[in-house]
Parts: sequence; structure tokens; C-alpha cells
Amino acid sequence: MSAVSEDMLVAYADGELDEVNRRRVERAIADDDALAERLAAHVALRERLSGHFAPVAQEAVPDRFRALLEPQGAADNVVSLSDVREKRSGRLWTSWGMGAAIAASLVLGLGLGRSMNGEAGPVGVSGGKMVAQGSLAKALDTQLASAQGGSDVRIGLSFRAKDGGWCRSFEGAAVAGVACRDGGGWRLEQAVPGSGAAGDYRQASSGDARVSATVEALIAGDPADAAGEKAARDAGWSNLN
Amino acid sequence: MAFESELLALVPRLRRFAASLSRNAADGDDLCQAAIERALKSRAQWQEGTRLDSWMYRIMRNLWTDEARARQRAAKTFAPEEEGAHVGHAGDRDIEAAVELSDVARAMAKLPDEQREVIALVLVEGLAYKEAAEVLDIPMGTLTSRLVRGRGALLELLGEAA
Repeated sequence: MSAVSEDMLVAYADGELDEVNRRRVERAIADDDALAERLAAHVALRERLSGHFAPVAQEAVPDRFRALLEPQGAADNVVSLSDVREKRSGRLWTSWGMGAAIAASLVLGLGLGRSMNGEAGPVGVSGGKMVAQGSLAKALDTQLASAQGGSDVRIGLSFRAKDGGWCRSFEGAAVAGVACRDGGGWRLEQAVPGSGAAGDYRQASSGDARVSATVEALIAGDPADAAGEKAARDAGWSNLN
Repeated sequence: MAFESELLALVPRLRRFAASLSRNAADGDDLCQAAIERALKSRAQWQEGTRLDSWMYRIMRNLWTDEARARQRAAKTFAPEEEGAHVGHAGDRDIEAAVELSDVARAMAKLPDEQREVIALVLVEGLAYKEAAEVLDIPMGTLTSRLVRGRGALLELLGEAA
């Protein structure tokens, strides 16, 4: 009965829709709570899965792989697969528990906008829109691309959209994308799975092609330089600034 | 040399992909090692200027598919022995795996392989649909229909379907 198919909802949650279709989905979920909940479930599922497996990519590279790929390991340090299989003796892998805990906190935070005890996840659904919350909202409010500090979210570009409002691209372990100022908060124009790994070789600035495409579609003129970014932040990202 | 160091930089993502395909982290690391050994042997087939990560995902996925097929064949051919082995192992590995498996891993394990690999590439690895379709060598329409079915099954299994 709905004008928006499950395929479109899924593509929205995966950051694969162009702007026109994103608007279509947003209009549809604004008048349809069941559809909005289904979308929130798809967003939560992606966060839960990427959060669950993210700790694997954050671990230091185990010696068995270094031995295979580092120059000095080539000759006699190589550990063959069968050696490893023989040596292994029922070790438990603690990170799974940790991953599950992280995933659980993300899912709780998402819980369709309910506020729960403890940390909120980075993405919520409010008024039929995906919005930033928790540490992501804080990073978007205050963090400068020129001074990222030790934050777990990296800010990419800050720029004016064609409607005059401020938007910022960002990348975190769980989620990356583009958020635009909307009232006192940040509406997510796009959310795609994050890098997963703090030590990932990919630079946040090089980013995801889908995020770049969204920036290209939204931006009016050039992105703000460091001074412009700071001035905009100090003015609370007001579009009058 | 550049080839090895580029591969080394990819290891965190390759281990993550392997973990999402395998039933536990140890099996994942075995798969990851097998993929790296295969890549080192067939490095001549990698074309410089193309994406090493896509090539590695493809190698790993093909190894995983071969292994899964071999397991299924073995299970069909040696069903009685397999059952016996199952009972015999109940004291260690199976119980360990049951304890170790989280809800997410258990739900992933229930997906058909063709949905699981799509979920792993798109939701866990964060590939764009187009990139994932290229790794798997399937048309976009096939990719999206497997993705939608896999997502639906996971929502049901994980009880998030509201």
C-alpha cells in the first residue's frame, strides 16, 4: 500500500539513494509510523552488525599475518596454517563479547528515539528523519576539522548547502556520512557504514565515494576553510552566519 | 615489497570480513591466512592500478565458497560418521562454539551463503552496492534482492522487526 518499497527503505539505510529518492522516502515515513519503524530497524541492524565486527579490525595485526607479509619474516618465521591449527587449543576470543556489548549499546541508543540509561548510539530517528545524537551530535556541534583531537568521530568537510544551511561530512567507526543543521540538531542526509577501524589505512578525508557524491550534490560553492569553519561553529551553525 | 605492505594494511579489514563469513574468529583467521597465502602465490594475476581490496575480498570469498561446498559434500557422503564425530566432540569444540557465538553470529550462520556474503560485504565491510556486486560477480538486481532477503531474515532472527 505504501509508495515506498522495502528495497527503497533498504537502499536508504545503506546510503545508496540519490537525493530525489531520499526525499521520497523521508516524505513517506513522515506519515507512516510503521514504515518509519521499519527504516529504524534497518538502520539499527546495520549499526549492530558493523559494531559487532568492528573490534576485529581494531585489534593489532596478529603475528601470524605479520610473519607472512613483513620482509624479515619471509624466510624462517613463517607459520604455516597447519602449525597454527595444531597449536590452537580452545582459546576464547574476548573481543566477541566486547563487540556484542558495543552493538547492544548502539541498538539501545537507536531504540526508536527512546532515551535509555548510558550512552546513546550515534543515530536516532526523530520526526520521521534520521538525526545525529550522542557523541556524533556533539562532534558535529563542536569539533573542528582542523583540530580533531582524540575524538572517535572525524569531521571531513564543513560547507554551505544550496539552501544556505550548514552541512558537515563525518566518519566514525560505526557510521559515516553527511549531516545538515536542522533546527537545533543535525539531520542525517546520508549514513553509510563507518570505517570500523581506528587504525584503518584509509584516511577519513579520502572518504567514501558515496559520501563525496552527497557532498557534491548538496554543496553551494566551496567548503569552508579553517577560519570559516570556526566562525560557523562559534555562531552555532546558524545559517544567517 | 609494495604488494606485501599494501596487503598488510588490508589485514584488519580482511580479518573482519573473514570473521563475518566464518562461524568463529579462529576459523576466520584460518580463512584469512589461506587467502593471503593464495594472494602471495598468484600475485602475478593482480593488475596494478586495480583495487587490491576488491581482489582480496574476491579471493577470500571464493576460498570460503569452496570450503563450504566441500563441507556440504562431506556431510552428505559421510552422514553417519559425521553424526558420530559430532557426539564425540560435544565436550570441546561444539560447546565452545555455542558459548562463543553471540546472537549476531548465530543469526549470520543461519543465512544461506549467498545472502550472508552480501550482508558481510555491504553491512559489515561497508562496500557500495556496485562494489559488492563486482566482488561477487553478480548483477546489481541479484545483489539487491539477496540483500533485502538477508536483511529481512536477520531482522526476524534478531527480533528487531518491531
